[in-house]
Amino acid sequence: MPSRLTLMLSLMLWPVLLLSSLAAAEPTLRQPVPDSHAIVGVRVVTAPGEHLDNATIVMRRGVIEAVGQNITVPADARIHRFERDNDQPPITVYPGLIEPFFKVSVAEPELENGTPVGRHELINPDRVIRARDWPTSRMDGLTRAGFTTALLAPDHGLLRGSGAIVNLGDDGMSANLLNASFGQFAGLDGRAGRRQFPSSLMGAVALVRQTLDDARWQAQSRAIWARNPAQPRPEWLEGLDALAPALAGQTPLVFESQDLLDSLRIMELINDPAVNLVLVGHGAEYQRLSALQGRRVPHILPVNFPSTPDVKDEDDRDVSLEVLRHWNNAPNNPARLAAAGIPVMFTTHGLSNPTQLFANLAIAIEHGLDANTALAGLTTAPAEWLGIADRAGRIAPGYMANLVIVEGELLTEKPSLTEIWIDGQRSVLTALVAPAVDPAGQWSLTLGLGGMGDVEATLNLTGTPTQLNGVLSIMGNDTPLSDVRVSGERVIANIDASRLGGSGTITIRMDINGEQARGSGSGPFGDFSVRGQRTQRPNTEEVQL
Amino acid sequence: MKPIFTALVACLVLSVTGLSHAEDWTPDIEAWNSPLPPRVAAVVFRNATVWTGTDDGILEDADVLVRDGRIVAVGQNLSAPRNAMVIDASGYHITPGVVDNHSHAAIIGGVNEASRISTADVRIRDVIDSESINIYRQLAGGVTTINLLHGSANAIGGQMSVIKMRWGAAPSELVFAGAPEGIKFALGENPKQSNWSNPDPRYPRTRSGVDQVIREKFQLAEDYQRALDQHPSGRAARDVIAPRPNHELAAIVEILNGTRDVHSHTYRADETLALMRTAESFGFRIKTFQHILEGYKIAPQMAAHGAGGSTFIDWWSFKPEAVDGIGFNPALMHGAGVLTALHSDNAELARRMNLDAAKAVRYGNVDPHVAWQMISAFAADQLGLGDRIGRLAPGFDADLVLWNGDPLSVYSRVEQTWVDGRRFFDRQADLRMRERLAAERAELIALALNGTQNNADDESESSDMPDDVPQRRHFSFANHLTGYRPSELDHDEFCLLHDH
Repeated sequence: MPSRLTLMLSLMLWPVLLLSSLAAAEPTLRQPVPDSHAIVGVRVVTAPGEHLDNATIVMRRGVIEAVGQNITVPADARIHRFERDNDQPPITVYPGLIEPFFKVSVAEPELENGTPVGRHELINPDRVIRARDWPTSRMDGLTRAGFTTALLAPDHGLLRGSGAIVNLGDDGMSANLLNASFGQFAGLDGRAGRRQFPSSLMGAVALVRQTLDDARWQAQSRAIWARNPAQPRPEWLEGLDALAPALAGQTPLVFESQDLLDSLRIMELINDPAVNLVLVGHGAEYQRLSALQGRRVPHILPVNFPSTPDVKDEDDRDVSLEVLRHWNNAPNNPARLAAAGIPVMFTTHGLSNPTQLFANLAIAIEHGLDANTALAGLTTAPAEWLGIADRAGRIAPGYMANLVIVEGELLTEKPSLTEIWIDGQRSVLTALVAPAVDPAGQWSLTLGLGGMGDVEATLNLTGTPTQLNGVLSIMGNDTPLSDVRVSGERVIANIDASRLGGSGTITIRMDINGEQARGSGSGPFGDFSVRGQRTQRPNTEEVQL
Repeated sequence: MKPIFTALVACLVLSVTGLSHAEDWTPDIEAWNSPLPPRVAAVVFRNATVWTGTDDGILEDADVLVRDGRIVAVGQNLSAPRNAMVIDASGYHITPGVVDNHSHAAIIGGVNEASRISTADVRIRDVIDSESINIYRQLAGGVTTINLLHGSANAIGGQMSVIKMRWGAAPSELVFAGAPEGIKFALGENPKQSNWSNPDPRYPRTRSGVDQVIREKFQLAEDYQRALDQHPSGRAARDVIAPRPNHELAAIVEILNGTRDVHSHTYRADETLALMRTAESFGFRIKTFQHILEGYKIAPQMAAHGAGGSTFIDWWSFKPEAVDGIGFNPALMHGAGVLTALHSDNAELARRMNLDAAKAVRYGNVDPHVAWQMISAFAADQLGLGDRIGRLAPGFDADLVLWNGDPLSVYSRVEQTWVDGRRFFDRQADLRMRERLAAERAELIALALNGTQNNADDESESSDMPDDVPQRRHFSFANHLTGYRPSELDHDEFCLLHDH
């Protein structure tokens, strides 16, 4: 028991202690980060089909303050200027892209005693995306593809819960949330197991149909019981109240369709005109477009077109006409839907890496998709759908300072994304340093995997320093580089890791010194060292070693 | 000996090399890009041997006149409109299209909802596979209407869907508009599952248990109907909570009200009798018994109850409860006054139903025309469609088949199959189409070799099937032989039991 004296003493000493503790702490070094920026002298695509040359964008505290050609840069703004030669493509600023369907796995509580009465494990309309579900590790891939905003969607079950509209900046959900509850997500692919209901597709449909009717009944019966308590209380089905906004058409019901028949099935199942149905597509919509056309259900379209069938070997031509046909027709799909008057948005869903979006969209544009429709499907159309058209999808005063900066054009096969701005925060994707070396030729590389030993590889680079292509040959596999560029004396090459049985991207960075290369790499398997030499220059002249 | 042996080995080697060149074969034609054949305003088939399916029997040198998708007249020397298409059918036989009242041939995503003992809320209508090549192949066998039934894993199974074989149409357009609603029931081993290795056994485990479950479901349905009836209507309903909608019991209520027919899978006589008694105690009748291998033992009782018998002609002994099948079953049931039909229960057998009808002539000496009725008129009667299809008579749908010989002969084949007055299958057109398809294939392969079409494939190759995800390869042997899409081969243990 403390004596009275000690108590008094400690009270008296309290301010002193406080001061000394403050003095002992490391002083927080507060770097004054300017919250006002001006990007000057750039081409600005303010919205699909609209652009300004030699314009200035002024941003303050995460919001665009002004955009135009005769803008006075505020005195306190940090000025961002790009030095360009005349023969270099112009630096172009686009609105940050919006991903309308980014599936997120939602943490589930462990159920000790199985699913409680009144619930079904596949029916979770009351599920929400929470801060702990923030997919930090997958955000990077999306921002590297120019996305600044996304609709996070719960990923599994029949009725899956609502999504969250977020920006893709740092510091998680708290710093980035735009709308905590948007849409109700669903799919008919959920199965409870071989002996649990539903075990089949038709069972899944039956369960969803019953659940939607239960939800309607629950809303009515609870309202009636509130008015008139003198009757048996209706049973209560947990979670179904969360369906009310979607059933009333106040928020969209977003069904992820597995294939063409699934799309038709979903449209028949959800035939209540009050419901605002949206389909996440599958790429074969063109096959029965007339059946989809009538209701003009908006589509969120993936662009994972099938690869060219392997028909090289006549004796081993294991390809059906069905596969050939779909390969030939799939790139027309986006243009066909748009021409049929079906509202279209685009998603990176289904691509093993979001940056593949551009190569595939370029193909779709080649096959008749209007480039402005393509850009709108990534900016203004999803902004409109998500109810954020007054703050996202365009570059205009009052809009969020979400930008993607590109050297040249965005909707090309391999756009050169240099910077991404989210809420006025800048991330440099590629430092714009002019190439100082020409690395073209064949390189013999040794990849040092630490304890796992060394792996020999051959890197073949072709083209000019500003337009490089390449193939990495490793363990008998020829893998094309998804992206390669020269920055100063450094070569940066990316490889889609799924081609080698992993996920994500393998990156090789090597500094060129004459015929020698040295650097490092990283990938899903870990980090590694890179060293090697050029064994052949273009024009096939042998290099004398 | 030795030269023969060498020749044999050479043959084997040849055939094996031949196989190694074979692709994972899928059919070249697809439903989605198969245009709807035009409906001919008027068409007359001249001088055919016409199997009417009616009391008129088989007519020689007869004409069939079709207008706007319906049969207008059948007889000799019919006068036809001046603009009518004339098909000279001299030497040909014309039959009503085959009606297969037990099929699973165009269902996707599982034929069985194998979980609960009653799945009356499950609808085949939701999973009709309009893209299944079975539709086209069965047209080539003269099939024009099939009844898509739920599997037999449940005492009370899912709701059935009758479709017309309109190859190329979307699922909603395949559905036979106005066909009576129906539901699958099942007795025997499949619902009770007592002889299966099942870590999670389900009630019931006995035949009497199955009967108890069915009774209980009907009692629950009566309760549900009563609750609905007692719910006030109009203004009085405003402050009274309505019964919670129950799609399962609603379907069973329809059985009690006579607006949904029961088609029950069964083999043995004893439990078939029991289900008839149960149905009678609830005031309704079983529309048909399916498989009903022991129907010949209880044919008088079935006839008295009013149940049809839809059976195999020569499939039995595939399990103990199916040992007492006999080839004479259709003949005996028919002779005892049971409305008797033959069904396929199998997408391959369905293409040769004419031969199953022929076997009914061989086993029991059924009249050939009656044998044909067993796969057309009587099957249609069992579906409650006997006034629409299955017969060639004025007012009936123009669903007919042109055979190059006696349809009960193994040497005969289908030349044309018409549905709703549209020529959905024509052997000559099919042969011509093969050349077109070969040209299309060559063109696409040239395009692929040029690599001009889609140059992002390097990046997207693995996008739809990542390397680390093992590809599902169910029944790859079947895929090889039959050209089914993987989605059609979704694992279904009941399929293997040959027992839908």
